[in-house]
Amino acid sequence: ELFLWMNKFWAKNSSLNRPMSPHITIYKWSIPMMMSITHRGTGIGLSGAISAFAMAALILPGNYTHYLDLIHSLSVGPFLIGLAKFGIAFPVSYHTYNGIRHLYWDIGKGFKIPEVYRTGYTVIGLSVITSIALTLM
Amino acid sequence: MNGCDVEPTQLLIFYHHSSYCSAAALQRDLAAVCGWITHVLPCSAAGSDSKAASLHWTAERVLSIALLALGPVAYFSPGPFIDYSLAAALTLHGHWGLGQVLTDYVHGDTKVKLASAGLFVLSTVTFAGLCYFNYNDVGICNAIALLYSK
Repeated sequence: ELFLWMNKFWAKNSSLNRPMSPHITIYKWSIPMMMSITHRGTGIGLSGAISAFAMAALILPGNYTHYLDLIHSLSVGPFLIGLAKFGIAFPVSYHTYNGIRHLYWDIGKGFKIPEVYRTGYTVIGLSVITSIALTLM
Repeated sequence: MNGCDVEPTQLLIFYHHSSYCSAAALQRDLAAVCGWITHVLPCSAAGSDSKAASLHWTAERVLSIALLALGPVAYFSPGPFIDYSLAAALTLHGHWGLGQVLTDYVHGDTKVKLASAGLFVLSTVTFAGLCYFNYNDVGICNAIALLYSK
């Protein structure tokens, strides 16, 4: 069905060596577009971080508290610690809040353009506030 | 519609989720929709395929809601049950999410197979690692708590 048709579309166009039309290089960026790709980017980033953590747990010799103490002993300045905390807190917050926005769309609500922008700005605002709070805690 | 089990709302949802930023994705979906409307699509096994896709979509949302609920539960009652539930929910949510990314960007039978196999290995290792951490180390909830006990 749809999936099979799309496969045929890609097979035909790549076998004819057709170039792809310019799209993200020419289309004007909008807030909804940027928020959407940020949702995807944070998702990929968070997944990667979780996988990296899991692999580290399997491969590295010491245990968790050992590495925490190691970082403590490096006496990393508070600014850099804060930066690292924010670097984790923001993707988690944004992806969570925007995820709720996605679920809101999934029940069929909030598709009118002003609503898209309103919920979008709400997600951005909540993400920033939550990230700052999680960083300062 | 023409005997197929395809639901128009499902198509709308597919369209919404694929049209985030790329006009190529839009073009692709528009082409797909036009093809569907002009009955280019075969219809025989299509029923069960689209039913499977529809169930997968629903399962993704159910899992997302479950993962949201795990947050406060982990905060208020940390422990091994939550640690393993989080390990499973996080890994599966990430696996399905990355699966959608693959579907959007990877085309061609061989490439899709390779990427899917790679993703499967990654998700398996991730889940194994998280379980190992839960069993042999402090566990996910405590790990996060320790970050704030500095």
